Amino acid sequence: MGVTLGVDAGSREVKFAAYGDGEVVFRAKVDTVRFYLTCRNGAGLDLSKLPELAGAPRWRRIVATGYGRNNVNIHGGATLPEIMAHARGAVWQTGLTDFTLVDLGGQDTKVIAVKGGAVDDFVMNDKCAAGSGRYLENIARALGASLDELGAMRGEAAALSATCAIFGESEVVGLVSEGVPVEVILAGANQSVVKRLAPMIARYRPRIIVATGGVAKNGAVRAMLAEAAGVEVITPSDPQHNGAIGCAVA
Amino acid sequence: MRRVGITTTVPSEVIFAAGAAPVDLNNLFVGDFKRSTYIEDAEVAGFPRTTCAWIKGMYAACLDHGVGEVIAVTQGDCSNTHVLMEIYRMRGVRSIPFNFPYGRDREMMARQMALLCEHFGVTQEAAERWRERLNAIRARLWEIDRMTWEDNTVTGDENNLWLVSASDFDGEPEAFERRAEEFIARARERKPLEHPLRLAYIGVPPAIEGLYQFAEERGARVVFNETQRQFAMPLGGATLEEQYLRYTYPYDIGPRIEDIRREIERRRIDGVIHYVQSFCHRQMEDLIFRERLGLPVLTVEGDAPRELDARTKIRLESFIEMLAARKGAAPWA
Repeated sequence: MGVTLGVDAGSREVKFAAYGDGEVVFRAKVDTVRFYLTCRNGAGLDLSKLPELAGAPRWRRIVATGYGRNNVNIHGGATLPEIMAHARGAVWQTGLTDFTLVDLGGQDTKVIAVKGGAVDDFVMNDKCAAGSGRYLENIARALGASLDELGAMRGEAAALSATCAIFGESEVVGLVSEGVPVEVILAGANQSVVKRLAPMIARYRPRIIVATGGVAKNGAVRAMLAEAAGVEVITPSDPQHNGAIGCAVA
Repeated sequence: MRRVGITTTVPSEVIFAAGAAPVDLNNLFVGDFKRSTYIEDAEVAGFPRTTCAWIKGMYAACLDHGVGEVIAVTQGDCSNTHVLMEIYRMRGVRSIPFNFPYGRDREMMARQMALLCEHFGVTQEAAERWRERLNAIRARLWEIDRMTWEDNTVTGDENNLWLVSASDFDGEPEAFERRAEEFIARARERKPLEHPLRLAYIGVPPAIEGLYQFAEERGARVVFNETQRQFAMPLGGATLEEQYLRYTYPYDIGPRIEDIRREIERRRIDGVIHYVQSFCHRQMEDLIFRERLGLPVLTVEGDAPRELDARTKIRLESFIEMLAARKGAAPWA
């Protein structure tokens, strides 16, 4: 039946996954701004100009989702709503049909109730990127830590109160000046992500959580989330390409 | 003609009885091509950025259009209007408070009506005569509303625009009535709209443009605009006092929920869009609606008037397609 290329145009990165013969055979990521600058061609987007896709198998079909869904007019491509793409990706990757999906992206956080393999309800964060991937990136950068280092910090956590992804940085600077150890601040940043998520998750009373998106690679956030929700948190093998995989298998 | 600004729906009968024309400052603001400038003007004047765009817009639009007199609703709508009224006064705009008494106290409402009549130098009888006159015009709006959900010949945005105008009848009730009659006649000639999904829109009217059209292009039509319909006083009342006590919007949420549930049932609605305005205390009502309505609710937040943004589009289309999947009619399946 040929290969389908799934495209998930996120706020920070565009993810690609190619699916054929029952498996994901190719994955790639491109910076979102570079993606648009490279591919823009008239009113649409031309993927043939992307070096990252040079090694991809020949695809017969393109299915796209993401922020771009309304802006991504890929030549010859179909589109899928973002929530559906993520739910399908998680069902395909985990083999589960009933779970609460938590997708932690660059600027959007989605909590999706999946029942019988279909979307039953969903909620997304309000107009604020606090507690998102972008927030964590900013905090880690401000403290000179890598994302891997950040993902290991789950001990004593500083209470971070800022409700803004930008002011969060100045709060962190304040804590450093007071002598609070960097590890404690990083753990506090992880904790703040989970605190922001908790009210969104609570309404679905999850029995099992599947975490996807770039932030799902952060082990401390996963552990804190499991502790806060009191349920198992599963991360599929490829959390960041989940939306692209959902498109590719659609 | 004496123009009287209003910050939300008030007993406009009293204003008309005084030979004056009400001007809904929200419509004045949002209908003006300078609306973005108005928000900037208000911020330059010192309004915090974290103030509702409607308050900022009403402030600047009122001054720019030289509206010298305003009825400010200081209870039942928005507490920011208290201070807006103080600022209007400081700028030389004559401001009269009007309260919808919490708890629907009949005597307090009677007192409010009496004070309003006294301010405009009209008798209650004269105002009551205008109630009958305006109700004949409102009946046209009720018909437009009925045609929206029963005949399916009116779009969600047309319904929104007609009903939202019931606060001031564009200041010219006769001309407004003629336009409404012409619209009804035209809409009667239409073929019924066929959208597989039917939505309710609850909360204050949208600052976002294109929301109704975006949903309709994806197979979901709004067939119930909650607050806009309330502006047209659909629950009637034998006196002005009673009519404005039956009006659900400014009081406790219980009767609002009853009204919404009744219409959800009658209009066979599949899902609810709850629109909330940034920095508005009514955002908290979201948790009540989610618990009490028993249908999927999508919360959409708007700030300054602008075209539908990418964030809201993603939410809307996912919501619509989730509803479609529930109904077994997913266009992407």
